Amino acid sequence: MLEARLEQASLLKKVVDAIKDLVQDCNFDCNDSGIALQAMDNSHVALVSMLLKAEAFAPYRCDRNIALGMNLTSLTKVLRAAQNEDILTLKAEDAPDVLNILFESSENDRISEYDLKLMDIDQEHLGIPETDYAATISLPSAEFRRICTDLAAMSESVSIEASKEGIKFSANGDIGNGSVTLRSQSSVEEGSDAGIKIELSEHVALTFSLKYLVNFCKAAALSNRVKICLSNEVPLLVEYDLGSNNSHLRFYLAPKVS
Amino acid sequence: MARTRSTKNDSAETKKEASLKSSAPKYPLGAKNEKPPTMFILPKKATQDARIVNLPNPRNAKPSRYLVCPTTGIYEFTKISAPKSMPRSWLIESSGVEDVSDTSKTNNSNGQVASSADLYVATTIDPLFFVLPALLHTDSSRKGEEKRRLFMTIYDHLDKLETEESHMSEILRWERTRSLLESRMAAVCDSTDGGGDIMFRLNEKKLFAVILSKARKMCQGGLAPSMEEKFVTKALEAPVQVSSQRSSDSKHAKPSTEKGLGSGESTPQAESGDSQSTTATSQSDLSADSQASTAATSVDDDDDGVSAVKVSDDIVNLQRLRTAFSFISSRYLTASLATQLSSSLADQTTSGIDFAPLDAYFTELAKLRAEAATSRAIGDYTKKRGLDAEEEEARAEKKRKLEEEKKKKASESRATKELKKVNTAGMMKLSAFFKKK
Repeated sequence: MLEARLEQASLLKKVVDAIKDLVQDCNFDCNDSGIALQAMDNSHVALVSMLLKAEAFAPYRCDRNIALGMNLTSLTKVLRAAQNEDILTLKAEDAPDVLNILFESSENDRISEYDLKLMDIDQEHLGIPETDYAATISLPSAEFRRICTDLAAMSESVSIEASKEGIKFSANGDIGNGSVTLRSQSSVEEGSDAGIKIELSEHVALTFSLKYLVNFCKAAALSNRVKICLSNEVPLLVEYDLGSNNSHLRFYLAPKVS
Repeated sequence: MARTRSTKNDSAETKKEASLKSSAPKYPLGAKNEKPPTMFILPKKATQDARIVNLPNPRNAKPSRYLVCPTTGIYEFTKISAPKSMPRSWLIESSGVEDVSDTSKTNNSNGQVASSADLYVATTIDPLFFVLPALLHTDSSRKGEEKRRLFMTIYDHLDKLETEESHMSEILRWERTRSLLESRMAAVCDSTDGGGDIMFRLNEKKLFAVILSKARKMCQGGLAPSMEEKFVTKALEAPVQVSSQRSSDSKHAKPSTEKGLGSGESTPQAESGDSQSTTATSQSDLSADSQASTAATSVDDDDDGVSAVKVSDDIVNLQRLRTAFSFISSRYLTASLATQLSSSLADQTTSGIDFAPLDAYFTELAKLRAEAATSRAIGDYTKKRGLDAEEEEARAEKKRKLEEEKKKKASESRATKELKKVNTAGMMKLSAFFKKK
């Protein structure tokens, strides 16, 4: 039996919006610590991993581990019926055929209820180890999105170079080339939305597909800040925080090797 | 959504339920009856002494079951089974016989289920058919002229049919059955009185006359509807002409051939053929005229269609007789005898029946059909070739797959399509970095 009440429907709406273009069908794995999701795109070069901790819900109850297999397009259709401020409740049996989704308006004068049919999805789970990245950049999510979309106009791929000078995004395309360099601002206050923070332990230079990065940036609506973690010859990590309880949405992307 | 979980789980659940049920049945069933009861419909006039016995099948000499009643004769069984597509069974309960107060005790043992829904109907069969194979029997040890059949008593004749399984000798001990068999033998045999016992020898002409009279009787008032439909109506049906021009052409041809065939004969059948042909010509002339005035109206077409199908009653009766005769021979006579009799049926001198009009009609019909087939092949542009069921199925399957694919594509967002186009060359799969759990 699963029952999870989310104060703001917008959170789930945005999460699903952010990943529905990357993956079509996926399992929401529910256990007593929260709801998790891990899925790869069709080409298996990008991976999305979401964790909504039990603390993000009020209340949260999950007696047994349940996998809710869903088509994200279908889920989007249902979630479209919810206002951003609605209270959203997810309910499911222990071996569910359907996921029951309830929207209550904040004024408590409107209740809508939907049942979404579930699917059996065979999905392989990858074990992702905790990694100490050579470079960790924290910046406003809007800034990162802007860089990606701007450079996507120039080229298919971007090379990201992190050095003592700062971090340089450069794209080399048919019509010319362009680059954006961000410098670390030492005076960034902890918890502030603005400013760029770079932690660097060694020099890193990697190339990534811009189309994928642009796709990741759809999650910018979820959080004001984004964390980009890089290490040579390992996948890039783009992380958005979901609230203040360690819930997160993470994207991994394999680097291009020439 | 075909792959939703709900349907799958449902079936799994019912399966579980079913297995549960089978493991612990609510009502314990007894062991399966090894010899389930069989349903028979027996004639009322058959007496209590009637027995089901093994007699050699007159057609193939294999021992088969027959009901023999010492007073009323011999009955054959016809098996009526339910079609495979509609599985049925008998629920047999012998109620009404039991005392009402007794039901509580006998309730359980009363009812029975017979899994096969076969029904056996006993109908009268001419005993003649049983003795025929014996009468036909020739002594193979003699040669040439000596191979003629001999006058023999019924016992000597039927002795040749004696096999392990047959009960023929037993039923011959029944006085009335024996006399019945003898009287039937007399109908097809020359007989002499040989010292108290009557001796028989098969007379083929008599036999043919008997079979023919049976066939005629069968024809009286028409054949059984299914037989009539399949062997008479369908066989004689002329194709309906689509093009009126063509049909009037063929009609002009038809009377001339019939006339040609019929002119030589002086039998009434030939006459009727003639009269039919004259009416046909006048009709076709008429329709040709009306065609000239009204440019091929639908009424006109109809008229043509009907006249092309029209068959005279004589021809229908001949076809019925032929069908009945072949039915009797194929069912009750040995194969060799059947061919022998059918050839004598075709021979006008022995049978006294002229099948010429029927044969002429069939040749005409074959021509018409061939013509219709060619005209259809020319006129039908909608279908380039005949579709058989398998092809159609394959096509439907292909269509379904295509639609599914289309649906899937339609559900993909633009961004997803864009991502598919991304050149991922040089990008390793994530499973190369992260190990599977």
